[in-house]
Amino acid sequence: MDKGMAHERTATRTVTAPRPVQAQAQAAAGRPKLNPDEKVLVWPYLVRIEFIAALLFLLLLSLMAVFIDAPLAPLANPDVTPNPAKAPWYFLGLQELLLHMDKALAGVIVPGAVLLGLAALPYIDVRRKGTGIWFHSKRGVPITLFSFFYTAAWNVSLILIDEFLPVPGEAGAHGIGPIVKYWLSNARDAGWLFGVSDRVINAIAGWIVPTFIMLFIPASLVLILRRRWQADTREAAMGLFTFFVASFLVLTIVGTAFRGPGMRLMWPWEVGAANH
Amino acid sequence: MSVLERIKATRVFKSIYRNPYPNTTKTRLAIMVDSLVLHLHPARIVRRGTWVTYTWGLGGLSAWMFVILTITGVFLMWYYIPNVSDAYWSIRAIESEVVFGQFMRNLHRWAAHAMVILVFLHMCRVFYTGAYKPPREFNWVIGVTLLTVTFLLSFTGYLLPWDQLAYWAITVGTNIGGATPFIGDRINFLLLGGYEIGQPTLIRWYTLHVIFLPLLTIALMSLHFWRVRKDGGISTPVVEDEAEGPGYPPVMEQEG
Repeated sequence: MDKGMAHERTATRTVTAPRPVQAQAQAAAGRPKLNPDEKVLVWPYLVRIEFIAALLFLLLLSLMAVFIDAPLAPLANPDVTPNPAKAPWYFLGLQELLLHMDKALAGVIVPGAVLLGLAALPYIDVRRKGTGIWFHSKRGVPITLFSFFYTAAWNVSLILIDEFLPVPGEAGAHGIGPIVKYWLSNARDAGWLFGVSDRVINAIAGWIVPTFIMLFIPASLVLILRRRWQADTREAAMGLFTFFVASFLVLTIVGTAFRGPGMRLMWPWEVGAANH
Repeated sequence: MSVLERIKATRVFKSIYRNPYPNTTKTRLAIMVDSLVLHLHPARIVRRGTWVTYTWGLGGLSAWMFVILTITGVFLMWYYIPNVSDAYWSIRAIESEVVFGQFMRNLHRWAAHAMVILVFLHMCRVFYTGAYKPPREFNWVIGVTLLTVTFLLSFTGYLLPWDQLAYWAITVGTNIGGATPFIGDRINFLLLGGYEIGQPTLIRWYTLHVIFLPLLTIALMSLHFWRVRKDGGISTPVVEDEAEGPGYPPVMEQEG
């Protein structure tokens, strides 16, 4: 160790010791405690890890490529529509949303808003506190877990309601939107609502109600986090991000494995033809 | 003097490799500075930055997927014909007649799925470790853009085999784009190059898939990596009462 490095080590020690990161406990288990802020040489200490990771992935993917063939269906035929026709798996969450609201809202506005929201995140949560620490604080893990299950429970419940709640008096129709439409049309025909047009009714059922539900879930989540955990901005942001991740996961899984012919809900083993 | 040592002593070898094998502190610092690929990294890094459980290597692995996809993709381009009447059959030929064709197609497919998953997971890691906070805000925005471009890369590649799976997945996908308020019809026309999926669609998506989007990805990735370094390298915990706002991670106190 030359003099320059020794000097650097003493200099780095003056940086305030951060709160322990989860990884620190694992890294230090059974070994002498290392100073996490000490500078180490990138060659070999980091390069070798990256090299092993790259080789490992190349090996795993190559093995996969040897044993599992990429799917190739019959030649494209515009006259034969598969049932169901599905987008690639990472868009199946969006395709799932399409079943529950207006096409433009689900397919364009929601993903657009999500991307904008993601990009805006660091301009909303501007405190530097919590940089470089997994889950920010002691409350971070319970907040993340709660947000995940709270969101997933809402998602699953809403999907089930939309699938199985029948519209009174209409055979085969089901779901919140159609029911709202049914109520409003009946109320209008009974002489209430000043005889609003079908367009207004469709807008309420396909736009306003789903938007309200989609805003209610994250809003109620943040409210709970603030009340129950006194969450600060960073922790509220964690709740919102987890809301996004959980929704993406649940909707993608349902859209991929639980939607069969006619996009009806069913068990994965009933869906049949796997969607790759 | 062994043969290897003789080769290493030649002027040609020395002109290519500026450093001997890095096994001393001096040469280890030098190789990080002198090598094109390695100089993405600083020569030294805080120990916590090397913990696998901090980053899981997800960002680097995403980039590695892009490298694998580029190599396998170029291989596939030698045999693939972006023409409605030939596309499907050229894929069939790749699978049955080209040496390593099936393997390359499979590897391309699985690495593509892996890249989408890895980029998504990398975003989650960066978020949950607070690595998007100032001064790294804009790099997070570039990252979100890269996630979008990754989706687009995968989606444009999805049409190329021209099988039932591809055709109808793209039908569903472009229908979603066509639902855009006010300009949906125009967006649909732009995506399809017409009113239905056909030759104009295929050549459009092929061009996006093999040239435009990869170049865009390379440009954005370069910017992304460069910003990582310029924003102070890998994120490390900052002092809590540190002044907010732009600035680099902890400033070292000078001795004396």
